[in-house]
Amino acid sequence: MSETTTPRVRRREFLKVLGAGTAAGAAACSEPTGKLIPYLVSPDQTVPGVSTYFASVCRECSATCGIIAETRDGRVIKLEGNPEHPLNHGALCARGQSAVQGLYNPDRFRSPMIKTGGAWKMATWDEAIALLSQKLGEHKARAGSAVFLNQHESGSFPTFIDSWLSSFGMRPHVSVDFEADHAVIEANKRSYGVAWPGLAFGQAQLIVSVGADFLDGWGSSVQHQLDFADARAKGASAPRFVYIGPRRSLTGLNADQWVSCTPGGELAIVNFLLGRGDARAAATASGANADALTALARELAAAKPSLVIAGGRGENGLEVALAVGALNKAAGNVGVTVRPADAALGFEGISKQGDVMAAVERMRSGSVAVAFVRGPNPAYSLSPSAKFAEAFGNVAFKVSFSLYPDETTEMCDLILPDLHSLEQWGDSEPVKGTLGLQQPAMDPVFTGSRATADVLIAVAKKDAAAASKFPADFRTWLIARLPAGTAQRSAMLAKGIGAGSITRREVSSTTTPSSVAAAAGEYFLVTYPSPTLGDGRGANKPWLQELPDPVTKILWSSWVEIHPETAAKLGVERGDILEVKTAAGSVRAPALVYLGIRPDTVAMAIGQGHATAAQPTFFDGKDTGVQWGYGRYSRSVGANAGALLSGAVNGGGGWVASGKCDVVKTGERQTVPTTEGSARQHGRGIAQAIEASELGKPQEAESHGHIPGAASTAFLPGLRSPVAADAQGDLGAPTAADKGNQVGMYDPNHPLGMAKRRWAMTIDLARCTGCSACVTACYAENNIPTVGAPWQNGVVYAEKRPGFNITRGREMNWLRLERYYEGAEKGGFTEDFEARFIPMMCQHCGNAPCEPVCPVYATYHAPDGLNVQVYNRCVGTRYCSNNCPYKVRYFNWFGYGEPDRIQYAFPEPLNWQLNPDVTVRGKGVMEKCSFCVQRIREAENRAVLDQREMAADEFTTACAAACPSRAIVFGDAADDSWSVTKYVANERAYHVFEELNTYTAVVYLKKINHAAAGAGAGER
Amino acid sequence: MSGLIGVFAELDSTVNAIGELRRSRFNEITVYSPTPRHELEHAIEAPPSRVRVFTLIGGVCGATFGYWIAIWSSRYWPIVVGGKAIATWVPYTIFGFEVMVLVGSLSTVFALFALSRVPRLTMTVGYDERFSQGHFGIFVATAPDRAKEAAELLKKHGAVEVRHEA
Amino acid sequence: MATAAPPMEQRPNIPSATVRLPAVKDYEQVDREIMGTLKPTLGWFAALATAILCLLIGVSAWFYQVYAGMGVAGYNPPVMWGVYIISFVFWVGIGHAGTLISAILYLFRAGFRTSIYRCAEAMTVFAVMTAGLFPILHLGRPWKFFWLIPYPNWRLLWPQFKSPLVWDVFAILTYLTVSSTFLYIGLIPDIATLRDKETNPVRKAIYAAMSLGWRNSDREWRHFTRAYLFLAAFSTPLVLSVHSVVSFDFAMALTPGWHATIFPPYFVAGAIFSGLGMVFTIIIPIRKFFKLQHYVTLNDLDAAAKMCLFTSLVVGLAYLTEFQIAWMSGNKYEQDYFWNRVFGQWAWAAWIMLICNMVLPLSLFSQKLRRNPSWLFILSLFINLGMWFERFVIVVPALSHEFEPWQWGTYAPTWVDYAILLGSFGWFFMWFLLFIKQLPVIAITEMKEIVPPKLRKVGGGGH
Repeated sequence: MSETTTPRVRRREFLKVLGAGTAAGAAACSEPTGKLIPYLVSPDQTVPGVSTYFASVCRECSATCGIIAETRDGRVIKLEGNPEHPLNHGALCARGQSAVQGLYNPDRFRSPMIKTGGAWKMATWDEAIALLSQKLGEHKARAGSAVFLNQHESGSFPTFIDSWLSSFGMRPHVSVDFEADHAVIEANKRSYGVAWPGLAFGQAQLIVSVGADFLDGWGSSVQHQLDFADARAKGASAPRFVYIGPRRSLTGLNADQWVSCTPGGELAIVNFLLGRGDARAAATASGANADALTALARELAAAKPSLVIAGGRGENGLEVALAVGALNKAAGNVGVTVRPADAALGFEGISKQGDVMAAVERMRSGSVAVAFVRGPNPAYSLSPSAKFAEAFGNVAFKVSFSLYPDETTEMCDLILPDLHSLEQWGDSEPVKGTLGLQQPAMDPVFTGSRATADVLIAVAKKDAAAASKFPADFRTWLIARLPAGTAQRSAMLAKGIGAGSITRREVSSTTTPSSVAAAAGEYFLVTYPSPTLGDGRGANKPWLQELPDPVTKILWSSWVEIHPETAAKLGVERGDILEVKTAAGSVRAPALVYLGIRPDTVAMAIGQGHATAAQPTFFDGKDTGVQWGYGRYSRSVGANAGALLSGAVNGGGGWVASGKCDVVKTGERQTVPTTEGSARQHGRGIAQAIEASELGKPQEAESHGHIPGAASTAFLPGLRSPVAADAQGDLGAPTAADKGNQVGMYDPNHPLGMAKRRWAMTIDLARCTGCSACVTACYAENNIPTVGAPWQNGVVYAEKRPGFNITRGREMNWLRLERYYEGAEKGGFTEDFEARFIPMMCQHCGNAPCEPVCPVYATYHAPDGLNVQVYNRCVGTRYCSNNCPYKVRYFNWFGYGEPDRIQYAFPEPLNWQLNPDVTVRGKGVMEKCSFCVQRIREAENRAVLDQREMAADEFTTACAAACPSRAIVFGDAADDSWSVTKYVANERAYHVFEELNTYTAVVYLKKINHAAAGAGAGER
Repeated sequence: MSGLIGVFAELDSTVNAIGELRRSRFNEITVYSPTPRHELEHAIEAPPSRVRVFTLIGGVCGATFGYWIAIWSSRYWPIVVGGKAIATWVPYTIFGFEVMVLVGSLSTVFALFALSRVPRLTMTVGYDERFSQGHFGIFVATAPDRAKEAAELLKKHGAVEVRHEA
Repeated sequence: MATAAPPMEQRPNIPSATVRLPAVKDYEQVDREIMGTLKPTLGWFAALATAILCLLIGVSAWFYQVYAGMGVAGYNPPVMWGVYIISFVFWVGIGHAGTLISAILYLFRAGFRTSIYRCAEAMTVFAVMTAGLFPILHLGRPWKFFWLIPYPNWRLLWPQFKSPLVWDVFAILTYLTVSSTFLYIGLIPDIATLRDKETNPVRKAIYAAMSLGWRNSDREWRHFTRAYLFLAAFSTPLVLSVHSVVSFDFAMALTPGWHATIFPPYFVAGAIFSGLGMVFTIIIPIRKFFKLQHYVTLNDLDAAAKMCLFTSLVVGLAYLTEFQIAWMSGNKYEQDYFWNRVFGQWAWAAWIMLICNMVLPLSLFSQKLRRNPSWLFILSLFINLGMWFERFVIVVPALSHEFEPWQWGTYAPTWVDYAILLGSFGWFFMWFLLFIKQLPVIAITEMKEIVPPKLRKVGGGGH
């Protein structure tokens, strides 16, 4: 096994391995992937160019959804949800899909590293393991004090670590999850007996979220989103949704009504809803509107059952969550809408932040001899007041198992790079009685990395006492734990899940709420984990950096949310750099003027602002190109809002994420990178909505008026546009004289039968929550380059700052998620405005304006309704884009696909992820959504090879597959057996810019608004 | 063809000379003038130029080709764009027109060259550099026996110079 | 200059068909004075050097753009067209006055054309040569430009003839060919004159070759006059068609602000307007430095200024009509766009356009100013500026403010755009400067048509 650090060599090995067929495993250093039974096809059919699918477990957050890893020629190229998994039922969020960019991250460590004299040296595993066991020997006396910080994950691994630790006489590890909402977990335990009960949105008449952002990655996000979308899609009978909180998060924007309150004011409101105290008192205590509260109370009383959900990031988070629990009990929701029985077990066993702080304090005391860090990044996540660096510095020997450089790893003495979760074994118990199996989907990208568990075993083997306690490798240990052992493993390999339970490690948590000094400051401050970057873990993945924040649509940057009123008071406009000051620290970031935040509050997302450390020097002068800090993509991007937190812990043992702060205008400015043009529709009816009460009634024309000569909607069913008629009638009719044999593909009798089909898509805005998972899915499927990195601008006299290309409007998002505001036009603070999310991609018009203007036929109309883009023929006049009313065509301004260019978007080994079915576009050509034509053709070919007709809904596009709201449906609109035809016939169906007679193949279903009983807000 | 050449300073004397020469049946005359003058044209009474024929033919061919290339190539690979007909004659009129103008004017130029025998490589007999500047000239192609008569005639009308060319 | 002019020039508005040049005595004087301008001077070398320098700057900027990608230019989607297309239309427009003056005015027997048409024609050819570059260097893959030309190829891949861009290719190439032919045909007799006056054997040989052995014989003149007439007859509709086709690039699109039937006449008028502006910019200094005031008389300038005023009025009317149509259409996209153009984001550009093209030219109602070369020159500079901004206002605001509000944007050129624009001026003036010192800037032969010939009997002759 050659110990090489350049991936290039590894690639050649892959080919060799392929040649060797199933002997592959033997050649590789870790698990023999060749022997695994793939999900869809059996291995003896594994041929180059045909995908193999591995079912595994997603480790991007604690929920542990099931994933299917699509591998091609031994490499993972795409992640999709596991349809059989009880949590995500085949959907997958943006962060989950970005796991491949963690796997192929160019900043992954190539080998173990040892710090000597302040400089890093690349080491072999033998050296590294020897060093570790030697150190363990040295410090045996103080072993009991050792600290092991592990990124929380459900399943057997925590138990394994503990048994290993104990075999060395060390105390159990700390299972860290900086994202977890501890107050809620604690309250849930007390109220319902489980950490994370199932939430049955569909059962409820009314949904009230008290600051619970279940669509922003809070808890088991995908699961909640699926249920929520299903509930909302029920139309008139769908539950109304009220959001209570100081700021409208993505969840808040999806609510029908926003009841704004000060951070911490939630408690008064929930108590009032519980019948304790009167509305006026609650209103004064919470800054909410008394009438709104009264109405809400009445509504809540009337709604049986209802569903009230709490978020507990505030100082009184626990109290709020407990009160909500009481509220649900009182309303009789427990067991109906709140289901402890269907609890998501991923959130069991998370250590409280209190435990983390306790560990930090022990370090500071100097009593800790050895510290292990695997996953979490306390140096970044902990409040500066925790002085982590100083405490960590007092530890004699510090070991990191991190795959990537990060702030904490830099301080360590030894780096033992772990395998990525897609490269190693593991398990999880997402819900009671169901096991998820995490299996390696591919050979390790870098031979220099090794599974932590196996490393620990290797170390144990060197210790007389511990050696006997462990089998040869972790895999054996793991399988032994499975209820039915090897047999079950083999069974689970196929589906990724199986029946059974594993004995969970119980954590004994001590929670002493730190007494929070009454913070001073003019404004309330709210910080929240970024929906895209989580607690910052996503910051080194270009897809997530390039994914606009669902609410603010800002990317490659941080921002301070501030209400227009406040902004006017401070004389601040979007882009003015503000300095936010708290007792703990201060942060500078550009202002974002946002309607959805209280005038007395400012908010910041956590996740950006990683340290930009200098490159370390290597003794042997070998530089792996790894960028320190937190990798090249997080360098000098944004600011870390975590620095504003006091570090205080609330009753639930979670951070107090809100407080008081002062805001100062610095006078500097910066163009905020955003994909947003105008946030208003200007009455153009792009994202349309309908009042639930209007459903079923004959609809009058849209408020934006019907322009004379506009198309009727008669063509909707089947979407047979004139061009289809022309192509199939005039040209296609076999009787058509003088066409001779030149009719070709437009002839319905053509062997391919392309002209028989019309690919179309429906998007149900009542389901779409704007989570943007589809956007990342599109990037992953279609090899779309990310263009926001600082070095991806021009070379001479070009600005080198993150997102500069985005400020130039050059993002390449084939599918973009637009967010329009309705209402609140006239200034001043109002809770009464609506957000509409609409995914916008190429509409594949029947009469496409882009086609006739192309001088070289680079874009034309395929017989099956696709608007085809021929990259090789494109000369780059960009006329098509000018003529596209939907502005969904994107131009390659630089050679993003050329490895020798500074703008290269897929630095090795990121390029291993590229989808072999899709070409990487060259410099100077136009590109756009292709309806995943590669999937269409693959399905067609498969049908032909199997000598059968294509089955209805046989396949779907990447965006539709990923969508956790099931809002996107794709299919053949000319064939009634496809489900897309049913949605097309829906009363809510409409086309964007219908009056232009473009006859689009994308049909949108109007969003459904639920006005409060009494408040008759008509259709906007 | 030998002959003699008369150089004139004035326009009217040239005109009179031409008239008399033709009256006395000197029919092979070439008149030179720095700039086209109607007086001379009238005096010579030459038939109208045949350039127009070339222009007409060229224009017609051009228009035909312009339409043809557009329609034929669209038909050759019938690809639907924007739901429009494969061969759309309205926009193709642009090609008909432009190519008509192109071929038409080029054939006009060709006609000019062909009919007036340019380009020519040598300054053949009977040219004087003054003719492109201020002077008018008459070249009379004649047999030696009548040369004397012609010379006198030219002199009579005030030729500043008369010389024999061979 | 006006002071130096003979009394007859003080009587304005003489019918331009019967132009007289009292200061010009006979053919010899015409030859002498016009050929005298061909002697290179130091100032000329300096100007030429400057032009070439500008050209080199532009060329190097372009190489950089081709290497690095179009991203180095200021494109800012949704604004996918920018300085290059603007300059393309600008130069094509300038290329219109020449043929207009030489062809249309020829058919209308407008005598004042004689003195300025050679300059204008040369300007046309070089302007079209310049314009023709821009569509190529704005391509994402310029090395594939020939795919727009219907050339026979083995795979029988042809351009898409419904695309206005292919119409452009045909219109521009035809226009370039015809106008340069027209220029050359008119030059032949003059070159013959140069040939006969030339003493240096080398130059003489070159002129001899270029003049195709022209002899000024009656037969040559007979066909020449006819051919010239027919060429003029072809060029006239061609001039009108070319800028109409260019306007189709915009009018054929759905884009609000582009999708307008008024565009062809509006563009043609604008083109002639800008062309006349450039004619003034060029002819007035030449007239001064080459001491040709008694050929290019104030009467000629006066007449040209009237045309300029007229086209300015037409263009102004077109501007107003656009607003009125947008207002009356009830089409919100149009209305939003025009509002944004004039009072919103792009007000500054729109008002530069309106003032330079609509307001300032009104000064030409004053005869004093029409006959004041210095004012005409200054005004012409404003017209050039205004017409460049007209194209800017047509291209950029429309794209930046289209149907889809989420994709509304802005536009800011970079140094690359400016360098290439500068280079285009360098390219244009390089050719023009080379021209004016090699070939006569005033048609000698046609001047002689105006100058009365020597006569024996005084009072006779003429026509």
